[in-house]
Amino acid sequence: MRAARFLLPLVFLVPLPVFADDVYLQGGAKFSGRIVEQTETMISMDIGDGIVGIAMSRVDHIVKAPSPLDTYDQKAAKLGPKDAQGWRNLGRWAGQEGLSAQSRKAYQHVLVVAPDDPEAREALGFVLFDGRWMTEEESYVAQGYVKYEGEWMTPAEAQLAQENAEAEQARQDTERQAREEETAKLQEEAQAAKVEKQAEWEKSTRYWNLPVYLGGWGIGASAWPSTGTDSQWLQQWPRQPSSETPK
Amino acid sequence: MSRGRKALRAFLMIPLALAFVAVVLASQPPATLTVDDIVARHVAACGGLEKIRSIESLRETGRISAGADRKALVTRELKRPNRTRFEFTVQGVTGVFVTDGERGWKMSPFDGNTDPTPLSDEVVREAAEQGDLEGPLVDWKAKGHQVELVGREKLGEREAYKLKLTLKSGAVRYEYLDVKTFYLLRTESMREMRGRAVQIQANFSNYSKTRGVLFPRKIELAAAGRPQHLLVVLDKIEINPPLSDALFEMPDSVTP
Repeated sequence: MRAARFLLPLVFLVPLPVFADDVYLQGGAKFSGRIVEQTETMISMDIGDGIVGIAMSRVDHIVKAPSPLDTYDQKAAKLGPKDAQGWRNLGRWAGQEGLSAQSRKAYQHVLVVAPDDPEAREALGFVLFDGRWMTEEESYVAQGYVKYEGEWMTPAEAQLAQENAEAEQARQDTERQAREEETAKLQEEAQAAKVEKQAEWEKSTRYWNLPVYLGGWGIGASAWPSTGTDSQWLQQWPRQPSSETPK
Repeated sequence: MSRGRKALRAFLMIPLALAFVAVVLASQPPATLTVDDIVARHVAACGGLEKIRSIESLRETGRISAGADRKALVTRELKRPNRTRFEFTVQGVTGVFVTDGERGWKMSPFDGNTDPTPLSDEVVREAAEQGDLEGPLVDWKAKGHQVELVGREKLGEREAYKLKLTLKSGAVRYEYLDVKTFYLLRTESMREMRGRAVQIQANFSNYSKTRGVLFPRKIELAAAGRPQHLLVVLDKIEINPPLSDALFEMPDSVTP
């Protein structure tokens, strides 16, 4: 049976009862969060960054456990919007719990109050370069890196990779051309064989229709095979063509 | 002071000076250490052969970060012989990657798949290299590896012995051992990434001992010439935790 697939994050507009659980799958994978719905065939679980669907057929066992998501919500509810230190601590805690989405949310609160807070900036992926906060990718560009096939690297390596890719493409083109030429050659040979076979067939048909075969009328007595060479003569005679023309 | 007393004093100072020189020399590594000397000192620095050999299983728990949106909790479990189990947890979802040295399988819900599926031969081979929980330098001859001293190199502020390690499998990597502490500072190896050979560097730091055995608490992985880094911070190390064999067994339902 195929695996349960991640469902696209769904938005539940209606409040649902939540249960904090760890859902263990056969083989060791695990989902931690809040079960929002459970049927005989499927569990829907809020993992704090969307809802995922888990096929019951894959579930090994479920352990009731307090969810860090609940703890996050309780802690966040106690923080005022200007409590930078509180949000910073919460962001740090959520990160240590593996709740990346909650950690980001908390650190974004910090930036509202303290836009240049180093911990929050770094946690949100910003890099301090030349005294200015910028995104990781902006910092790569600023450092002179280039993106080649989705990977950041030095221009020299990108150039080399490009040259290698072109050389590989040229090699593949050469191989393809050689294969095509070989195919064309084989087709020519097949065509030549077909023509030859056709010619043989036509020749045999021609012989087959010779009057001599039909009784020897009209070609004179000298053309008749002697009794002594009859069998040899027959062996040299083209075989009777089949009813089909040669391919 | 009389000449005689001065001579006597000088005479008495000679053994002291010699003793001082001997102590200084003893504390300095000889100028020409052999590979065996270097490895022996490295093993001693790591806690000694007896302690290292007493490790039957190991569990390391920590965090991995490869950027703001790429953070995970990680648990690495090792058990002799060559069995490895990695668990990655991202936003409450845990995937597992397991090898027994010969075969491997994964359950990676991050890929949208909760079926156990086999790992590629290349991944299993690389995992087997890392499954040697005491490290390849310990008993390297018995393990069929080859080690040669390439030289000494500066790594930032530190100086390191550069050892060329040719594993029994034929894979080559370079190990950099601090000339003073004999701690492993860096490992370099070549990996194939998207069809391109890339040099991977692993830098080890924040060393401390757990039950007398030395472990790095901070590991930074990077590809040479690439700006991205993968940072692993280990929060907890457990020696000889009970790890059942079943943890490393491939489920019957593995689908190719």
